[in-house]
Amino acid sequence: MKNYKKLKITTLFIILLSFINISSAANSTPFESTYEPMPQTNTLFRGANIYDGEGNEFLDTDLLIKDGKIIAIGKDLPASSEFTVVDAAGKWITPGIIDIHSHMGVYSAPGVTTSSDGNESTSPVTADVWAEHSIWVQDPQFALALKGGITSFHVLPGSANLIGGRGVTAKNVQRNTINSMKFPNAPHSLKMACGENPKRVYGNKSQAPSTRMGNIAGYRKSWIKAEAYLSRLDEYESKSEEAKELSYKPTRDLELETLAGVLRGEILIQNHCYRAEEMAMMIDIANEFDYKITAFHHAVEAYKVADLLAENNICAAMWADWGGFKHEAYDMVQANVAIVDQAKNGTGCAIVHSDDEIGIQHLNQEASKALSAGLRAGFKITKARAMKWITSNPAKAAGIFDQTGSLKVGKNADVVLWSKNPFSVYALAEKVYIDGAIAFDKEAGIEPSSDFDIGILNPNKNRIQE
Amino acid sequence: MNYTKILFSAALIFNIYIIEAQSIVIKNAMIFDGINDNAFTGNILIEDGVIKKVSKSSIQGDTIIDAEGKIVTPGFIVSNTDIGIVEIGALSVTKDDQSSIYSIGFSIHDAFNPNSTRIPWNRSNGITSAITLPRDTSSPIGGLGSFFTLNGSLQIDSLPDMVMIGRIGGSSSSSRSEMLALTDDILSFASSLDVRDMKSNADINQIINDSPLADYLELQSRDVKALFRLIDDKLPLIIKANRATDILKLLEMKKKYNLNLIIMGAQEASLVAKQISSSNTPLIINPINNIPSSFDELASNINLSSRLEAEGIKLIFSSGGGQNSHLVRQGAGIAVANGMSYGGAIRALTSNVADSFNIARRGLIKPGNIADLVIWEADPLEPSSMPEKVFINGVDMDLTTRSTRLRDRYIKNLDKPNTYRD
Repeated sequence: MKNYKKLKITTLFIILLSFINISSAANSTPFESTYEPMPQTNTLFRGANIYDGEGNEFLDTDLLIKDGKIIAIGKDLPASSEFTVVDAAGKWITPGIIDIHSHMGVYSAPGVTTSSDGNESTSPVTADVWAEHSIWVQDPQFALALKGGITSFHVLPGSANLIGGRGVTAKNVQRNTINSMKFPNAPHSLKMACGENPKRVYGNKSQAPSTRMGNIAGYRKSWIKAEAYLSRLDEYESKSEEAKELSYKPTRDLELETLAGVLRGEILIQNHCYRAEEMAMMIDIANEFDYKITAFHHAVEAYKVADLLAENNICAAMWADWGGFKHEAYDMVQANVAIVDQAKNGTGCAIVHSDDEIGIQHLNQEASKALSAGLRAGFKITKARAMKWITSNPAKAAGIFDQTGSLKVGKNADVVLWSKNPFSVYALAEKVYIDGAIAFDKEAGIEPSSDFDIGILNPNKNRIQE
Repeated sequence: MNYTKILFSAALIFNIYIIEAQSIVIKNAMIFDGINDNAFTGNILIEDGVIKKVSKSSIQGDTIIDAEGKIVTPGFIVSNTDIGIVEIGALSVTKDDQSSIYSIGFSIHDAFNPNSTRIPWNRSNGITSAITLPRDTSSPIGGLGSFFTLNGSLQIDSLPDMVMIGRIGGSSSSSRSEMLALTDDILSFASSLDVRDMKSNADINQIINDSPLADYLELQSRDVKALFRLIDDKLPLIIKANRATDILKLLEMKKKYNLNLIIMGAQEASLVAKQISSSNTPLIINPINNIPSSFDELASNINLSSRLEAEGIKLIFSSGGGQNSHLVRQGAGIAVANGMSYGGAIRALTSNVADSFNIARRGLIKPGNIADLVIWEADPLEPSSMPEKVFINGVDMDLTTRSTRLRDRYIKNLDKPNTYRD
């Protein structure tokens, strides 16, 4: 009898709880992706040369995409009336290019003060801010990057702060809300920054940090707070439902929620860091607080600690040849990318980035420069392998490699058709597909214009219309 | 040890002597001479730092370099750079590009550092000389740039103060109309200067006292002298401007004051291409820049170079400056990918620069010119290809850079502790 009653109450409780859960679920996960692909074109690419993004090259090979997915790759695939056939003979196909370090939308064009939204430089730790809340979806730079083959990109806050806020991965489609651009199920990242920038920004305000040792103290203090918050959270969440009713849920804290997300492995660390010794220290801090660094960004001195990065399974996002613009970038070497790639018997994770609104349009050329520097240094690296630096490796660092970043059956049909070998400066993207939908088609004159581009120079034309 | 050192130094001196005294022949090269659209296969004789002969038939010489199948171009000249006066952009103590006292007559020439790491770095990418410019000064016209060869010699090989710079455009503080008016006033003042009134500094001080404008701008005598040269020597004047209306106003001023005008930036030039073309005004553009970075640059387009070339406008290519100056050849490649002619792109890196800035005997491979040459391992407009040899003033330059040294330190002799590595 007693047991029965208890059961009844529990059942009631559960019903009640599930009701609460349903209603609270609707309120508790804001900013979810509402992305839907554009109308898809089932396409057979005939006779293409293909870099699959995982290190393989297939010459004179067909690629079949259907309902937004890659369904076959091989010789002489059968055509049928449901497929549009694209003659790709002599042309090249790669996965959609992925930029792991973009500020599009948060530093939009035109670069005016009213659209300068990338650095919340009012406090050295702003883990509570999210880059996606700054993104201006009408930034004309998205479409320019698309013409360079960029199908997905990761937007980060700037590097003024020790901990700058959450980064977001987006699909390169013209939309009027950010949620409808957000890459479904892509994890958030957390931007951290080493070195000169945070110490300069806050040192100039006569506050901490003003030195590199101040930087390190700042990160550690934050993680100590995050650990305490997480243990309060874990303790609460491990309670039975009844016990939860009798206790208080820890008060939400946006900053600590983000940091706790990192400690739980749900949010990936993207760490701006130039110098070798600083990267090594950041790894120590990650070990101290038991979190993982996904990638070091800019990483001008990655070549000095390439083995350490490979051992710790950390990617480095690097320029092909930028350096010297500040002291911590003075030791640039062109073979940086190749040295990281080749570390520990080729297990390194190298990514080519540009951190630049022009460079993002030519990441294929940046990879080409990095490759040629690697060959000149004596490494044996194929073009097919170098293609990983701008496709599968950034996809891994953004946590979306299960969905895109290589041309594997079952993956999203994010595909670029190039006029020539993409390692040449003369190669232009002719068609770009995102989830099997045409996003850019040079020949057909299909290219997105943002609202900014509409009628701005001539009321009857779009900004760069011929 | 000392003995070896002495021998080594002697060898060095001796080597330089030999290189300069002996003749070098580059044979079987595919020569893009800097002016013609197409390459021709030929041989180049270098003697005493000068191109003595360019011929399709074989030439004898002391040193023969077989460039079979390789492209040879004039050394590229970058024209909007701070090479030699800025070592690290974000480190002000290494920057010599601005003055707080002088404006119009501010010269960066004496600050040039031939030991800058930027010099071997750009040289190893095929850049043999540079027109180094100061930062914008307080005056809309002002600041003098100089031409430098990038041979790294402490005996600086230069054309001092051979260009003046200026700028017109939108700003957050005042109307462009004010800038245009002030520019016009300065040019009017410059045109009024007469050498007969400027025999001494006292004379010049008198001129400054008599001119409310010169007084207002707090001009110094070297500013006035520079303005005099601007008009009297027809000094090239680079004005940075992007908006179509600003470009048209500058063309008017060019006519009014008979200026040797070169417009830089020119992102909206395609809207006024006919007018630019008929005024014979060269443009310095960054062919890779298609970003509408400001409301002055809304017409930015990756096709800019090919459109302007089609109108017969003389183009000079530039890039982001400083350590990235060499990226100008990637920009040139992108211009070709987007419709510009290959020969036109080479001209925009060589003869068009020399021509527009009156740099004598450079920018062209022809007899009598100074031997600034690059032998490329492959297509020079492919950023993946690098120079195999670079000659400046006829000297075969070392292509080692701090970057290649650092690279080698981390890929060679890894079994040794850092302390024992090169």
